Order: sequence, then structure tokens, then C-alpha cells
Amino acid sequence: MKLTKEQQVKLYTNMVRVRKLDELMVQSLYGGKVVSFFHSQQGQEAIGVGVCTFLRQDDYLFYTHRGHGLCEVISKGLPAKAFIAEHYGKATGSCKGIAGFHTSDLKRGIFGLGGTVGGEFTLGAGAGVAAKQRGKGQVVAFFFGDGATGRGTFHTALLMSAYWKLPVIWLCSNNTMAQWVPTKVTCPKENLADFAFGYGIPPTVVDGQNVVAVYEAVQAAVDRARAGEGPSFIEFKTCRFRAHLEGFPDISQWGLRSEEEVEVWKERDPIELFKKRLLEQGVLTEADIERIDREAMEEVEEADRFATESPVPDPAILEKALYAD
Amino acid sequence: MREIIFQQAINEALHEEMARDETVLLWGEDIYQDIWGTHAGLFDKFGPERLRDTAISETAIVGAAVGAALCGYRPIADIMFSDFLVIAADETLNHAARWRFENGGEAMVPMVIKTAIGGYGHNGPCHSQCTEGFVWHAPGLKIAIPSTPYDAKGLLKTAIRDNNPVVYFFHKLLLGAKGEVPEEEYTIPLGVADIKREGKDVTVVATSLMVKMALDVASQLQEKEISIEVVDPRTLEPLDIDTIVASVKKTKRVVIVDEDVLRCGVTGEIGMQIMENAFDFLDAPIQRVAAANMPIAGAFMEQYVLPQPQDIADAIGAVLGLKERLSVTIEPPKLAL
Repeated sequence: MKLTKEQQVKLYTNMVRVRKLDELMVQSLYGGKVVSFFHSQQGQEAIGVGVCTFLRQDDYLFYTHRGHGLCEVISKGLPAKAFIAEHYGKATGSCKGIAGFHTSDLKRGIFGLGGTVGGEFTLGAGAGVAAKQRGKGQVVAFFFGDGATGRGTFHTALLMSAYWKLPVIWLCSNNTMAQWVPTKVTCPKENLADFAFGYGIPPTVVDGQNVVAVYEAVQAAVDRARAGEGPSFIEFKTCRFRAHLEGFPDISQWGLRSEEEVEVWKERDPIELFKKRLLEQGVLTEADIERIDREAMEEVEEADRFATESPVPDPAILEKALYAD
Repeated sequence: MREIIFQQAINEALHEEMARDETVLLWGEDIYQDIWGTHAGLFDKFGPERLRDTAISETAIVGAAVGAALCGYRPIADIMFSDFLVIAADETLNHAARWRFENGGEAMVPMVIKTAIGGYGHNGPCHSQCTEGFVWHAPGLKIAIPSTPYDAKGLLKTAIRDNNPVVYFFHKLLLGAKGEVPEEEYTIPLGVADIKREGKDVTVVATSLMVKMALDVASQLQEKEISIEVVDPRTLEPLDIDTIVASVKKTKRVVIVDEDVLRCGVTGEIGMQIMENAFDFLDAPIQRVAAANMPIAGAFMEQYVLPQPQDIADAIGAVLGLKERLSVTIEPPKLAL
């Protein structure tokens, strides 16, 4: 399906919004406002934005620690203020300040995070059962990184999605680094999508820096899932521009992550690539670009102010959160 | 009232709840036959969409249940032996238990993990364990552990309707146990203990198969004019500590019996809660009877690891401060399916 002009502008705008938000998170971490920690997602925006911007509200989303799902949840409609406030430990956060870094928004199919890398794969399959059982064409967009493919949960969940023909789209952001260790030292495959062959799931490998390519690949998988034809696997080749965890260098026994390599990837910044294309095609003007930037900045600043001024939660909420009535 | 066996009580609860609510799903390994015989007629009635065979992967069975529960269904994850639940420890203890809490307390995880516990069947260390201790350790889960057909049915129905993850432990050796179960609909709330036998000299708090063992011991001791009260908590989370404490305040002496390992186990937790709530009423130190702190041995060695009727009698003798041993002659439980 060809993207309309409005859809292209929406994708571009979302990428700018999540980049500004990510930059604020990094700044707020070092400024002492973020209570816990942050795993920047800069450089990988095209993936979450390209996948989630045009999902249905009732589609299910599982995100990862990368950006704490920033690109994914914001594109699916979570307000930036709920994202920031959670990280500031405030009662107005999307998890009421109990999580400190997850975001959850049930009416948008955003359930939160489990906190063990790869721990949610089988939950994604279970959400697929629910979607299929309900019969309303819902899909599960399940994000994970290259590192999580080391978990047995990855394999057992893919297998389950295949034998039950579940409407799950397995979305692997391969940024070549499993925490601080290069994925190639623990994985024999260059393309992680090859794993999907073993489970009879159609694999696709996509340039994760190209938001249109991301969108098109996902759209095909979404159509397939909605039509009841089962799971798909898409691998996105990408790079995170910053360290795995803010404050810690990307170092392991295999050495420090090469700065030159990251610089090469930065030449392919997903926002810059798409901006150039939209300007060339006359979809956007320089003035539009400036306005989108300014509005995104205003949104983030307003959300930051809101979160900063919000109260910390009342500890009485803990008891109620443990068990449902 | 009619009498049915424990196995049939579970089966009736599943039939009734699956008929009552189409969001109730059931999956696991060989869901059709189910080696415990609790699934009779379910597949033929509810079909392959609601009863699903999985690959052999406890991880997938429990994890998928958490996912489907988050999306509004009420899955029952069937784990053949509770020993295998450790394979799904991340899914059970980290995700089922904590998902609601750590994501803001809005989501619900209405699911049941139905699993068989218990030894005395000479099945070795990975097919004989009681695992309620480590499950109880994780805040966020509820635990039902019935000892009679009546409780088995009423608690399973409630567990399926509960909006939280409930681990439902049934003992293999109880599956053939007979008991009164009404024809008409009933449920049993979670968190209400049941006094299985009234007495005045010693309180024995026991769970699952140990309730039956305690009752057998109590009957024999009656001949020696020792009056035992047997309290069955029926659920560990929530725990009806009030009923236990009321009994302890009456008898002033307590023995706690559970088939899980002694160390860091159910007996220790209940014992400490009694200390916190009824210390001044105790006339003797609390006694515990549980599995030895070792893996469950096979064949003839199993009996030296698992609680035996005489162990319960000895503990009762100890809290009564008797010099002579209270000998009982009760056959140890046997697997007879």
C-alpha cells in the first residue's frame, strides 16, 4: 500500500517527536530527574515509528528495554507526559510511578514490560491466542532485540506461533550488540531472520533506517496476520547511536564498540534520510521541517514541566496494585 | 449427599466453568487424555479452540497463559507435575505474579496454573515434589491446595473466576479419594480455612494429603483420649490465619504438617505467623512435620524423606510433653490410580 502525503508527514513527525523525547530523557538522567536509568533508542526510530504509527488501537504491543519502548508506545498514542512522569517516579506516570520505567496503557494494547530480557516472548504468543480467539483481526506487534534471541523463550514462542498460526509479527531490531557484547560472538547467523525458517515462518530482512521500507514490510505482515495466515518475522538492520546503558561504555572482552562503525551508521540517521527524501519529493518544505521540530520540542518541554511538577505517588497505591478485586 | 472422587470433582469444575464462560481456555501437554484423568469429556464438548495441545514447553504453557490473560481471557495452564513448574519460573514468579503490580496495578492476569503435587508414588526427585513453598514466596500469586473432593471443586471454580493468577495444587494420591459433593452449584471463597476435625488438646494445621494423614493419626489418638483439632487452610494465599490462631488459642498447642521441604517452607511461615499472633497462648514450642531437607529419594528410600504418620504422632507427643511415644499404626499413603 502506497503511503499518502499525510501518512508520510505523520511518520516523519513521530520520528522527530521520539528523538526529542529521547534526548530529553538522556538529559534528565544526567540532570538527576530520571530516578532509575535509561537505555537510549536514538538511531532506531524508524523501526518503532514505522511499525506502530498505523497500527489499530486494539492491536497488542510488546516492547523492550531499548528506549523503554519510547518509539513504539509514543507512536501507538501514549502521551509523552505519561512516559516522562513514569521515569521521574511521579503519580501521573503511565504506571502511576510504581514501575519507574515501564509504560502501560491498556486501552491502547500496551501492557508494559516484564523486566527479564526475552521474558515476554511467550506472553506475545498468548496475546496472539487471544487475538485469534476473538476473531476481530487484531495483531500482536512483538519487538525484541538481537540479544534476546539467545533465550529459549524466543524459540519456544516462535514455534507456538507457528503451530497455532497466530497473528503475531515478530519484530527483531538487530543493532548487532547484545548489551555490551557483539552479537556475532554468540550467534552463528548473520541474519537472525534465518531462525524463522526453522519454524516455517516467512522471514524478511529490512533496512531499519528506512522508515518507508519498515512500514511496507510491516504492512505486508499485518495484512497476512489479519487475514488469519499466521505469524511473520521481520529483521531490521539498525544501530543504536548511544551506549546500551547511559553512563556505561560499550566495552567487553571483545573491545570497545568501534566509534568509526557508529559514525558510518550515523550517516544513515533515519530522520535525516527521510527528511532528505521528503524535501526532494516536495512533500515538506524547510519551513515545515522547522515547524515540526519546534512543535516536537514544545511538546517535550511541556511534558517535562508537567512531569516535574507532578506529585510522587501515595504509597497506599501499592497494596491495591498487588491483587485485583 | 452423593459421593464422588477428587478426580471427578476437578473434572466437574472444569466442565461447569468452561460452559459458564467462553473465555476460559485450557492448554498443556496432552490436554485430551491428561494423565491425571481430570479432563474427561472436555475436548469433545469444547473443541480444539478452547482446549489446545502445546509442544513440551512449560515456559510456553505458562507464558502464553499470562499473555492471553492480559488480553481478557481466562486460561488454565496445565502443568503435569508441579516439579516442572520451575521450568516456567520466570513466567510464573516474575510475570504472572508481578505483571499487574509492576505495570501500575491496572492490568489483570486472571489465570490458573493447575498442577499435580506430591510423593509416596516412588516417582523420584523430579516427579514427586510439593512446590507450594517457592510459589508462596512470590507476592502476587494466590494458592489453592485442596484436600477433599468438595474443596477441590469449589476452590477450582473460584480460582477460575478470580481476577488474579491462582496456582491450584492437587495431590496425585488424593485423586481417588471419595467425598460428599453436592449436585448443585457452589463455590468456596479463597482465604477461608476449614476445620476438618474439632478437638481440644492439640491443633494440627495440615495441607493437601497431609490433612488426610493428620485425620488418620487423630482418629487413632482418640483411642488414647487425645483430642486433635485439624485445621486445613485450603488456600495459602490468602491465608486464613485468624481461624488457625483461634484454634491455637483454644488448644494452646500446635503441630504444622506440610509435604514440601522443611527449610524455608510452608510450615515455617505458618509457624512464624502463629508466633506473631498467638505467642502468649502457646504452652509448648511449635512442632513442624515436613519433607526432609534433601531431594526425594526413590523406591524404598522415599519414606525416609517424606512425612510419615508416626512423625505427626511424635510431634503431637512433643507438644503435649509426653515422655512415652505415641505409637500409631497407619499405612503410609500409596499411589493407587
